[in-house]
Amino acid sequence: MKLRQNATTALALVAGLLFLSPVLYSIWMSFQTAQSYYRGGFEFSLGNYGTAVTKFNFARYLVNSIIVSGMVTLVGLAVSTTAAFAFARFDFKGRDLLFGITVATLMIPSHITLIPNYLTLARVGLLDTYAGLILPAISNGFAAFFLRQYIRGIPRALDEAAYMDGARPLQVLWRVIVPISRPAIFSMGLYIFLGEWNNYIWPLVAVGKEDLYTLQLGLARLYSVNPGEGLIDWPLVMAASTITILPVLFGFFLVERHLVRGITMGAVK
Amino acid sequence: MSKLTPYLLVAPLVAFIAIFTYVPIVSSVDLSFRSWNFMSPEMPFVGFSNYARLFAWDDFWDSLKVTTIFAVISVPIRLVLALAIASYLKRETLSSRVLRGAMFLPTITSTVSIAVVFSWVFSTDYGLANGLLTAMGLGKVPWLQDPSVTLLVLIFINTWKQLGYDVIIYIAGLQAVPQELYDAAAMDGGRRFQVFRRVTVPLIMPTTYFLLVISVIEAFQIFTIINVMTRGGPAGATDMLVHLLYRTGFVLFDIGTGSALAIILFVLLIGLALVKARALGAKVHYEA
Repeated sequence: MKLRQNATTALALVAGLLFLSPVLYSIWMSFQTAQSYYRGGFEFSLGNYGTAVTKFNFARYLVNSIIVSGMVTLVGLAVSTTAAFAFARFDFKGRDLLFGITVATLMIPSHITLIPNYLTLARVGLLDTYAGLILPAISNGFAAFFLRQYIRGIPRALDEAAYMDGARPLQVLWRVIVPISRPAIFSMGLYIFLGEWNNYIWPLVAVGKEDLYTLQLGLARLYSVNPGEGLIDWPLVMAASTITILPVLFGFFLVERHLVRGITMGAVK
Repeated sequence: MSKLTPYLLVAPLVAFIAIFTYVPIVSSVDLSFRSWNFMSPEMPFVGFSNYARLFAWDDFWDSLKVTTIFAVISVPIRLVLALAIASYLKRETLSSRVLRGAMFLPTITSTVSIAVVFSWVFSTDYGLANGLLTAMGLGKVPWLQDPSVTLLVLIFINTWKQLGYDVIIYIAGLQAVPQELYDAAAMDGGRRFQVFRRVTVPLIMPTTYFLLVISVIEAFQIFTIINVMTRGGPAGATDMLVHLLYRTGFVLFDIGTGSALAIILFVLLIGLALVKARALGAKVHYEA
């Protein structure tokens, strides 16, 4: 029995590795020199990473991605959590309408906003700025909806006790609701961060200055410099790709369960 | 507590949604009736002529066709594969957790990276795919140069990337089916495939419906893979709708026609969700 279990686990592991083999091989490839790759041998080298950072500015892109995704996550969570708190706990005129408007954004394809948002930012001079990358991504109907559902599950008695002690709404939110909702907020934070980390079309239209490239833009440009069938420096491209993927992979192994829970909860209920 | 409190709490979210989602919808409608190229100081009102131009444009119809073909091929493949795999992986064993993790990874991996990696996999001279074909004694295929196969390559990559998501959602759905129903069906002497067809498939219908809508909508929004790998080529074979929208607006600088296309895409996607909901409504409310 034990043996059989080990065998299926091993088989599953092999199947999983096979499934991921293109990406795994690309990571492996990034550690060899172009010469050895095209000759058909293997020569270990960190040179591709050096080139990506020194000649192609990937350290800068990495920092940009962290700034943009980090800010979108922090501000987005703050905005969504306060709104979710109001939707879950207060009776006010227009609440259902405003909540409906928020949830309806989930149905709206984001591409309809592409041209108008570009024009809006151009008008106020925010193209080619961090703010221009961050602001249009802040509102997240799904996070607001999800957090509101979660907060509704928290017993009201807890809020009321705090109000009796003289707390104000924001203090109740910060001292009672947020600590209890930490798992939900964490799941949503991951969800927002990942979505923004991988965002491509908006940075593509909103940014022309190379200094503001995110990793996705930098990688796409590095590859498209020579996309034909000429001799692409594949190991270099794969090093850049690995830099783009790696933070997400680390995060995945740290928090897989949170992530999967956040995603299935959104879909099933 | 002031009456204003809840309004102040929702104000930031509502403001962001208004500025970056709802106002843009209105201005898209407005722009779709104007002629503009980003530069000229005037934006003359031109009525429906942008729509007329779009409907007379071969690229638009080709793009609609390509997008539809993509959805029609890729969605059934995804659903069938995902349900089959989910049925195997629904148990909470170590091996199924390992496989689920592996399959889920691509869904959170950067699409640009995936596009770049698969550009290598399918590159004619140094790629993995042709390497395998050559090893088996077969000829090389120009995957990204032959208009008849490139769309299939993109469907393959997109399926590979999204399958893990479908599987996870199906597993959550399958685990919600009460075990007694399977036991009852088994007691009645149902064979495994029959149980699957008569019990699992109908009961899992709401999940299937959800995934169907999601993946059709997703197919109509594919952009990144195309922009990185093919730029709509070869010969327009992968010029799907959002890519055409990007091209019209940000390459050809035809804001009016681009906005008209955005409106059409918008109506199409919202309509799609509503029609599908009605068609499947009867089965969705299937109760055990």
